[in-house]
Amino acid sequence: MLWQRKHILGLENLSKEEISHILQTAKPMKEVLLRPLKKLPTLRGKSVMHLFYEASTRTRTSFETAGKILGADTASIAVAQSSVSKGESLLDTAKTIAAMKVDLVVIRHAASGAAAFLAEYLQAGIINAGDGQHEHPTQALLDMFTMQEEFGDLTGKKVVIIGDILHSRVARSNAWGLTKMGAEVTLVGPPTLLPPEMKALGVKMSHNLDGELEGADVVMALRLQLERQQSGLFPSLREYSRLYGISSQKLKKTGRKTIVLHPGPMNRGVEISSELADSPMAKIEEQVTNGVAVRMALIYLLAGGTSNVMA
Amino acid sequence: MLWLKNVQIVDPAQDLAAVRDILVKDARIFEISVTFQEEEVQAKAEGETLEVLDGEGRLLFPGLIDVHTHLREPGQEEKEDIASGAQAAVRGGFTSVLAMANTKPVIDQRALVEFVRAQGERAGLARVYPVAAVTKGMQGQELVEMMDLAAGGAVGFSDDGHGIQNAEVMRLALEYAKLSCLPIISHCEDDALAAKGVMHKGLVSARLGLKGIPSCAESVMVARDLMLAEETSGVLHLAHISCRQSVDLIRQAKKKGLNVTAEVNPHHLIFCDEDVQLTKTSLKVNPPLRTADDREALLEALLEGTIDMLATDHAPHTWEEKARPFAEAPFGINGLETSLAAVWHYLIAPGILSVKRLLEAWSLAPARRFGLAGGSLKPGQRADMVLFDPDRTLEIKIENLASKAQNTPFLHTKLQGCPVMTWVGGRLVANRE
Repeated sequence: MLWQRKHILGLENLSKEEISHILQTAKPMKEVLLRPLKKLPTLRGKSVMHLFYEASTRTRTSFETAGKILGADTASIAVAQSSVSKGESLLDTAKTIAAMKVDLVVIRHAASGAAAFLAEYLQAGIINAGDGQHEHPTQALLDMFTMQEEFGDLTGKKVVIIGDILHSRVARSNAWGLTKMGAEVTLVGPPTLLPPEMKALGVKMSHNLDGELEGADVVMALRLQLERQQSGLFPSLREYSRLYGISSQKLKKTGRKTIVLHPGPMNRGVEISSELADSPMAKIEEQVTNGVAVRMALIYLLAGGTSNVMA
Repeated sequence: MLWLKNVQIVDPAQDLAAVRDILVKDARIFEISVTFQEEEVQAKAEGETLEVLDGEGRLLFPGLIDVHTHLREPGQEEKEDIASGAQAAVRGGFTSVLAMANTKPVIDQRALVEFVRAQGERAGLARVYPVAAVTKGMQGQELVEMMDLAAGGAVGFSDDGHGIQNAEVMRLALEYAKLSCLPIISHCEDDALAAKGVMHKGLVSARLGLKGIPSCAESVMVARDLMLAEETSGVLHLAHISCRQSVDLIRQAKKKGLNVTAEVNPHHLIFCDEDVQLTKTSLKVNPPLRTADDREALLEALLEGTIDMLATDHAPHTWEEKARPFAEAPFGINGLETSLAAVWHYLIAPGILSVKRLLEAWSLAPARRFGLAGGSLKPGQRADMVLFDPDRTLEIKIENLASKAQNTPFLHTKLQGCPVMTWVGGRLVANRE
């Protein structure tokens, strides 16, 4: 297909064909990544700016690595040391960046819609690296890439996503993306973190983890933000872990070869047991590698790489 | 003397909706008749200059009275001031406005009430009536000097912008305000339930990943305030009602005969949460736009009289403040200049709301509830009136707005139906001709 999008703001508005195209493009990117000499001249002369308003190690490093392998010039604005902490608005910061004539802006921000906001005001292409509780499209794409590596076609595959669904941009992007790819998604969490209005995502919901594990091909544990307990959304880590934490023992209920994903960083012993995180079922490190590949694919597609990937 | 001929006068107070001639003299409505002869009018003018206007194809209303505006002065004049707000009002068809007290400083002393009133008089456009705070500094703790504020010109009391969280403070306010016979205007919002949400809690907030404000954040406070009004026999007005549950509670309270009135904002009748988009901060408003079902309940309540009034909740904000991600932009819709045209376009033109009910709700009921001049075109009344052209299209553009702010969802749209001339006390204060 001919790639036409300028921005990646979320998976809700991408088509199945577009998602497939990104995942397809990521395959040769991963091969490049696994080479001893990983450098392409493809995007030489293109610039990518990373604008991270929230602390992030893996996503920002992953994007930077991806851009550099493709030969693009990358720069990062660490918000704590920048004019943003002097009270500059997002719009003014964005205009300043635009004036530097960057080709792509990768943004992470605590406000839902921050990426769409930039797309409205800037000429540059925008990649959403997580906006509030709205979407985290690159995470969902790398999750789907990891699943495809394991299973091939995702049609009919059963994916169980567990945890704080209400506040999770990862869950939202995965629900949109996986549904489009034909997977059967079930969201699981306590009623306070999976309230009735989450049916807006159009997938199955359940409060009972044990009842949903049978036949699951993929189990994804979300990171539990520990401050949710202080807001009264669940009574204790102990009770949460008992009800919604996953372990090798619990995963026997799936009755098949299941893979375990986690977007990281993990709370070992809360949403996922330590032994499961380190077991062969867990593809958590593979997710990180695939994250670079998927982000290479996106930067390549958005920064105008139209020629053969391997050129 | 003004002789306005052949105009369709709609005045629910006189049960009038017919083509008439109307004479205005000495700032007051002089006489209404099917038609006047030239000589007859000359005689009535008693030598005054006679101005003749043909109102064919147009409607004449008693000036609209808006019981809920934020004019931002003193303290936030970058958003609006009393003069620019009053200018926006008369251009929008409003001859009187109530200015809310959540300014900087809060209007909680007599000198401040008198300042607001004086600024309104200096502007010489719409009549500006101050609403004073209920509690000092709007801290929700100690009551203001209600009698002194009333003597200074306050027409009601409200901590609008915040709900009064402490039920005992609300009970005392309703009790004490009986001395003044003025209403307590309640902004019904439970802070813990609203929990820093930014839009209605429902399917759309779930999809967009925005923190939701549940309907119960309003309805539990409506229930509380109605019970307190019943117990104290206080005078209660409920601001900006937004959901079906609140409507049901008010309906029951009215059946019991409580002294309660309620208002609805035009945006809650025109939009719903499905219209909200992450980049459309002009629709970020508190209380939030709720579901299509809530909108239906509000409309029904307005039609049947459970909701007594329309009010804009005019809340101007600067362009920069609204040019932010949704969660970070301030709440509020700029309403004075667009609301009448918008209600005409979306509700009157399609036949959902009658002109008579519109004027009951936006002129007569507000005048009666807050004891204000106006609300009717009966001979002897002050000539606060609006000439309205139902066929003219109003294009909402930044350069056309008198308000300092442009935070209206109707920006860059066209609305059918437009106020063309507005008189306050017989003086022409807005003219689009």
